[in-house]
Amino acid sequence: MIKTKKLKRSDKLGLLEAFLFLDFVKGLSITMRNLLRKPITTQYPKEKITPPKRFRGKHGHFVYDGEEPPSLKAIQGFMSFEKAKSRCVACYMCQTACPMPTLFRIEAVQMPDGTKKVVRFDMNLLNCLFCGLCVDACPVECLTMSDIHEMSVYRRSDAVLNMDEMEYIGATNAKAVRDLPDRIWRDDKERETLWGKIKWNF
Amino acid sequence: MNDIIFYAIVIAVKILVVLGVTLGLGAYLTWYERKFAGHLQVRRGPTVVGPFGLLQPLADGIKLMTKAPILPRGIDTTLYYLAIMMALIPAVMLFAVVPFGPSFKFMGHEIKPIVADLNIAILYVFAMGSMAAYGTLFAGWASNSKYAFIGSLRKAALIVSYEVVLGFAALSVILLAGSMNVFDIVNAQIRSGIWYIVYQPVSFILFLFCMLAESGRVPFDIQEAEAELVTGYNVEYGGMKFGIFPLAEWYLNTLGLCVIASVLYLGGWSGPHIFGSFSGYIWLLAKSFGLLFFVIWVHWTLPRYQAKDVVEFAWKYLLPISIVNLVFTAFLVYFKV
Ligand code: SF4
Ligand code: SF4
Repeated sequence: MIKTKKLKRSDKLGLLEAFLFLDFVKGLSITMRNLLRKPITTQYPKEKITPPKRFRGKHGHFVYDGEEPPSLKAIQGFMSFEKAKSRCVACYMCQTACPMPTLFRIEAVQMPDGTKKVVRFDMNLLNCLFCGLCVDACPVECLTMSDIHEMSVYRRSDAVLNMDEMEYIGATNAKAVRDLPDRIWRDDKERETLWGKIKWNF
Repeated sequence: MNDIIFYAIVIAVKILVVLGVTLGLGAYLTWYERKFAGHLQVRRGPTVVGPFGLLQPLADGIKLMTKAPILPRGIDTTLYYLAIMMALIPAVMLFAVVPFGPSFKFMGHEIKPIVADLNIAILYVFAMGSMAAYGTLFAGWASNSKYAFIGSLRKAALIVSYEVVLGFAALSVILLAGSMNVFDIVNAQIRSGIWYIVYQPVSFILFLFCMLAESGRVPFDIQEAEAELVTGYNVEYGGMKFGIFPLAEWYLNTLGLCVIASVLYLGGWSGPHIFGSFSGYIWLLAKSFGLLFFVIWVHWTLPRYQAKDVVEFAWKYLLPISIVNLVFTAFLVYFKV
């Protein structure tokens, strides 16, 4: 619980307050106390804080590796999946849920044996607002978001995320984030050094 | 003849030292202020350029000097450039009457560490303070921009409110000391053994107020109010042309006034002789920097007044208080209580 201190103040300063500049002194004492505290700055390029588990960063695709949810198991016979490749079924649910659908470019083809293969899955992250609706919409738990947040690029075309990169992110960063316990911060110890202790009420 | 040459050389050395020290110190005060302000807000301040960010003023200088010179359309070119000079020169000239310590003997001559030992030094300080205000006014007028113009109008409102009070506040000290010469004032305090802040606490507080107002520091920085006026009167200046204004007003002017305030109220270089022959200089430095510390501390703590409030406050409260204080002091001095 955050403790709130309620103060009663009259509209006019009292005589003592006015003559001794008590309100000035109060303000000055606050800044002086801050001066004696340790700075809480994170010196960004040199040290980086770990984003929390629920952080919504760069997108990734979870790969076809035997950990699929039942929804995918039911239809995997109709798909031509490869091991360690994206498990997307090209259902376009993510695009439908997205507030900016045109940022997706999803293409799938029919293979000679009648199965379906996703050949293209591009996302133009310049238009993305990282709301995470696409992740919620994905029925086969393929699309996900990682903790990668350093996404500056030199050319606009570089901001387009393709399937290879998403598979890589899915297999590394996104997987690491997924397997963490559900806490707001990935590493409580590290967070405590920066922001102090949080008491969990469970 | 020899004496004249000797004094010419001494004066030249003094001027060079004062110029070098003040401009260098002015540049380093930016570092000091940023570091200090950072820590007041639980940040770190500059850390990247050099150890503890100590080379930051240098980097700033290079950055400001290599910026593309941009002149806004419709400016009054003469005034536009004159404003820079009007801001810088009085701020530097102020240091002509700022003493840096007690006088000492050198090659059989008594040398005072002050460029011009005027007998109207305090009056000169006021004069330079008023001159510096023209820099602000001209800058706002010449820039052909409404933000700058509003900023300089506010400065005009500020001048009429603090100038009179400043004069009356300092006058009571001058009455006590019986002189306007900085050396006489300090010597009077050393002789009586009591700093004038003890006799004149009210006048000291008034002087602090006016000092903050004159150097455009919070809570009286209404002419540059970043939040509402972008940066006020100097918004149309760029590069080093811009850099001069804060340097002159926020750093040089404040530093000069801090030294003057410690001369007037805190006994100048008086203090126990614990640092050998340098103790006078060290005491003055310590007092001035203590005041400077306070000014910057206030700057990064308080919100700012509105222009009309400053004028009202100054004329309705500060001026009567200062006049009563002055008359009271005059009585005490006259009847030698
Ligand atoms: S995070 Fe939101 S905006 Fe970005 S792709 Fe997903 S649904 Fe669209
Ligand atoms: S919702 Fe999932 S499975 Fe469907 S197209 Fe998008 S990423 Fe692929």
